[in-house]
Amino acid sequence: MNPFLKPALVAFASVVLSAAQAASVTPGVTDREIVVGTISDLSGPIALLGVPVRDGMLMRFDEANAGGGVHGRRIRLVVEDSGYDPKRAVLAARKLVQRDQAFAFIADMGTPVVMASMPVIVDAGRLHLFPFSPHESTYLPLHPLKFQNFAPYQTYMEAATRHMVQAHDYRRSCLLYQDDDYGLEVMKGVEAALGKLGRPLVEKTSYKRGATDLSSQIARLRGADCDFVVLATVVRETVAAMSEARRIGWKADMLVTASGYSAQTHELGGAAVEGLYGVSVLPHPYAEGANRQLADWIQRYRTRFNADPNVWSVMGYTLADMFVRTAEAAGPQLTIDRFARTLEHMSFTRDYFGSPEYRFSPTDHLGNRYGRLAQIRNGKWELISDYLK
Amino acid sequence: MRRGGRWRAALPWPALLAGAVVVFGAEYALSQATLVATYALAGLGVVVVVGQGGQIALGQAALVGLGAYAEALLVAAGMSPVVSLPAAAATAAAGGALASLPARRLGGLYFGMSTLAFALIVEEALVRWESVTHGAAGFAVPALRFAGRAVDTPAAQAAVSIAALIGAMLLCARLFDSRLGRAWRAVREDEVAADACGIDPARAKLLAFVVGGALSGFAGALYAHWIGFISPEQFGLMFSFELLMLAFIGGAQHLSGAAWGALVIVAIPQAIAVLRDALPGEVARAAGLETVLFGVVIVVVVLLRPGGIAGRS
Repeated sequence: MNPFLKPALVAFASVVLSAAQAASVTPGVTDREIVVGTISDLSGPIALLGVPVRDGMLMRFDEANAGGGVHGRRIRLVVEDSGYDPKRAVLAARKLVQRDQAFAFIADMGTPVVMASMPVIVDAGRLHLFPFSPHESTYLPLHPLKFQNFAPYQTYMEAATRHMVQAHDYRRSCLLYQDDDYGLEVMKGVEAALGKLGRPLVEKTSYKRGATDLSSQIARLRGADCDFVVLATVVRETVAAMSEARRIGWKADMLVTASGYSAQTHELGGAAVEGLYGVSVLPHPYAEGANRQLADWIQRYRTRFNADPNVWSVMGYTLADMFVRTAEAAGPQLTIDRFARTLEHMSFTRDYFGSPEYRFSPTDHLGNRYGRLAQIRNGKWELISDYLK
Repeated sequence: MRRGGRWRAALPWPALLAGAVVVFGAEYALSQATLVATYALAGLGVVVVVGQGGQIALGQAALVGLGAYAEALLVAAGMSPVVSLPAAAATAAAGGALASLPARRLGGLYFGMSTLAFALIVEEALVRWESVTHGAAGFAVPALRFAGRAVDTPAAQAAVSIAALIGAMLLCARLFDSRLGRAWRAVREDEVAADACGIDPARAKLLAFVVGGALSGFAGALYAHWIGFISPEQFGLMFSFELLMLAFIGGAQHLSGAAWGALVIVAIPQAIAVLRDALPGEVARAAGLETVLFGVVIVVVVLLRPGGIAGRS
C-alpha cells in the first residue's frame, strides 16, 4: 500500500465521521448549554416594549440557570437588535442560525421583522416561538416549527367590543385607528362584533403613526355623536385622544386595545384617562395589592434591573418560562422535533401573574385567543372581567 | 475616474468578500453581500441624482418602494422576472420623472422639499390603494425564479445582486463619460453657466431622475424578493435618509461611493453585533449599544474622509 494512502484514508474517514456527527447533533444544544435567539427592537420605534421583554426573559433564564439549568444545560439568550428594520432582521436571523447556532427563536418583535426573518429561521429547521406580531402566518397554516402565543387583535377585540356594546347597550359605536396593519386588524374585529349584533360602525377615522394632535379626529367622532369609541392606538395616542375629548367636555366611553393597556397610559394621562376601558392579555404587575409570589417577583426584578417591571416584562418572563418548562418536559435528549412535539401537548395553567391558560395541540399552534377587560379607576388599571370567550 | 482607476477601485471587493466568508461564515457573509449589493444599487440612484446631477433628493426610498411593489404585483400576476424586473425599473423611472417635475420651477432646498413631499405621497398612496397594494398590512413576495429555478439560497441571491450591481455600474460608467454625464456635472457646478453653454438644465435633471429612479427601482424589485415581505412603512423617510447617508459616506460623486456606502450601512452594524458578543454580559446587553457604536463609526468616517470613502481625504 502506498505509505501516504493509509493516513489519507484515515483522515478522510475522520472528516466524513465528524461531518456525519455534526449533522446529527441538534443545533444550539450541547451537554452544557442551550442557545436561544431573539430578534428584538432595542433602539427603534418599539424599544419601549423590546427592553422589558428581553429583561423578563433574561430573568427567567437566569433563574433556571441558577437552579442547575434544564437537565444540566444552561440557557444562553443571544439578543439581536433589529431596530424594527427587516434588512437587519434577516441578517440577525442568519447570524443566529449560522454563527450562534440558535436552537430556537423566541419573542421576535414587529410584523415586518417577523415576516422577513421567519422564512430564514424555519428553512434552517429552527423553532419560531411566540413572536410579537399579530400576523396569522405566525401559526397558520399549521407548521411543525411555528408556535404563537398572542392572538390577532381581531380575535380578542371582537369579543371585547361585543361584550362592551351588549353590557352598556351602546347605539353609536365608532373607531379611531392607527393607519397601519395594527389598526386594520382592530377594525376587522370591531366590524365583526358589530355585525354579529346587527349594529353599524357609525364613524371611523384614522391617524398616522407618531401623530400627537388628534383634535380633528376627536371633533369628527364627536360630530358623529358616538357614545362608544374603540381606540386602536398605542400609549401616547390613547392619552392624546382621551385628553382632547375631556378638554372639549365630551364624555363618550372609550375602549383601548392591549397596546394601550400600560401603566404609562395612566401615568401620562392622569385624570384625563380616568374611566378608560382597556383589553388586557396579561395584567399589569402592580406592587400595591400584589399577592405574595407576585410581590417577591417584583422585588427580584427591581433588584436585578433597577427598574419597575411592566406588563411587557411579565410577557417576556412568561414566554421564557414556557420555554424552560417545555424543554424540561422534553427530557434530556433534547432535539428540535422533540421540543415541538412536547409543546404540542403542553398546557400552562393560570399563574400568580393572572395570565390566561395557554394550551397547544398538534392541530392548533396558537396558545391563547382571549383577552379580558380592565378599566382605569383611581389612577390604575383594575380588571373588571375574566377572559372573554 | 478613468477606466484604469475604475478597475483598480474594484480590486478590494473580492478580497473583502473572501475575508467576510472566513470571518462570518459563508451563508451569513453572502446574505450581507446580497444586501450590500442591493443597497449599493439603490444608492447608485442617489449618486446619479445627487452626486452627478447636483440635485437634493430626500425621497429616493419612494422610488425603491415603487420598484418593489411593481415587481411584487407583476410576479403575483404570473409575469416572468425577465419582463417584471425591467417593468419595475421602468415604473420607478416614471416615478423619478414625476418627482423631477418641480425642478423646472424650484431649485436647491425648495426642490429637495418637493422630493420629500413626493415620497410622502407615494407612501400614502401605497397605504390607501388597498385593493392593489394590500394597504398597510403589506404582503408576502415569493422567491425570485429564473427558468423555473428559485433564487432562494444566499449564494444565488448574492450572485444575482452582485451581477446586477456590476451591470448597473458599467452602464453608469458609460453614462458618466457620455455627453449626458458631462451635462449633469455642468448643471451640478453652475446651472446658469450650463444653460448659457447650450445645455438644457431641465432635461438634464429629468434624465438624472429617470436614470436614478430606474436604478433604485431595480434595487427595490430585488429587495422585495430578498426580504420576502413588503409594506409601505419600509419605504418611509428613514430609508430615504439612509440612502442619502449611504451616498455621502461612500462618496456621492463617485461610482464606487455607492458600494462603499452600502458596505458601511449594511455590514458595519453586523460586524459590531459580532464584536459585541465578545463584551462582558451587562455591557453587551446595553440597549442601543450597536446604534451608538454605529454612530461613532459614521462620525469617524466623515471626519477622516469628508469627501466620502471613495473620494479624496
